[in-house]
Amino acid sequence: MSHIEEIPCFEVLSSVVFIVEGAMEEAHNPQAIASHLDSCLACRSEVTHEQAMHSLLQDVLRRTCDEKAPADLQQSIHEALLRQVSGVGITEVVTQFSMTEISIEIDEFGNVEHSEIQIEETHVQRYEDS
Amino acid sequence: MASKDLVLESATDRNDRFERDALVFMDQLYAAALRYTKNPEDARDLVQDTYLKAFNSFHQFEEGTNLRAWLYRVLTTTFINTYRKDQRRPQLASGELEDWQLAEAQSHTSDLGKSAEVEALENLPDSDIKRALQEIPEEFRIAVYLADVEGFSYKEIADIVEVPAGTVMSRLHRGRKLLREKLADYAKELGYSTESKSKKGEKR
Repeated sequence: MSHIEEIPCFEVLSSVVFIVEGAMEEAHNPQAIASHLDSCLACRSEVTHEQAMHSLLQDVLRRTCDEKAPADLQQSIHEALLRQVSGVGITEVVTQFSMTEISIEIDEFGNVEHSEIQIEETHVQRYEDS
Repeated sequence: MASKDLVLESATDRNDRFERDALVFMDQLYAAALRYTKNPEDARDLVQDTYLKAFNSFHQFEEGTNLRAWLYRVLTTTFINTYRKDQRRPQLASGELEDWQLAEAQSHTSDLGKSAEVEALENLPDSDIKRALQEIPEEFRIAVYLADVEGFSYKEIADIVEVPAGTVMSRLHRGRKLLREKLADYAKELGYSTESKSKKGEKR
């Protein structure tokens, strides 16, 4: 068995999101967290509270964000799809644009973050032939 | 449906199949679009655009895979590419790229603080919940919405938003924290006293 690193409470507390998401494999030090939780009552109680708050927050958000689409939206989508399918009497002008933004940032710990953002835009303009 | 049948499928049949399978998610997508765009007119347009774009690439969608997740991906990329012209680049909230796990020291909350936080959240009106969600930065709002309202896993969210899984975890962590800070502030205005450990500038 390899030695399990001892970590302070704050490191466990800032990893609670991994526990709540069931994503311990994404944490830097899953064994150290598990071992800390085995022996620290205060952190266990904090994790229980965070899980309860998370589930409460989910309930509250789901209850709140339940708007229905306007009554005529389905018909409007249906008609737009049909116009697209039939395609008769329609001229399309398609403009495509694509670029990549690359940024590299180094933080004070020397960690290198590399991120690429691909931006693509397609504009389709349709003219109905009269 | 076998792939050779797909080839023979007429455009109208494909449209019928698409409408049958995809339109059941319209209300959900609309609620998400409202959170993204923050107004009913744009939300409506965004949902319609999403369906038109999704239909145009429906032939690329493999039947049997997650249609709902795929529609959210189209919704999210359409929003980011089209409805956010004025701020084309996502505002990377300060600190997103730093090692957030070490950057913020956290401390334990007292039992009293815990029960006050629960009580406040249980008693806040829906309007405050929506307001809080609107006020947190977009990339956090999208991640939290997809996880906590739609129930997507962090891996699915990484796919929908097209960012690495670690970035999703960081956005969920920070987004929920920001949301709870806002909610604690509103609760305070309503007379609930919380001592959320995440309150800004609070010394304990």
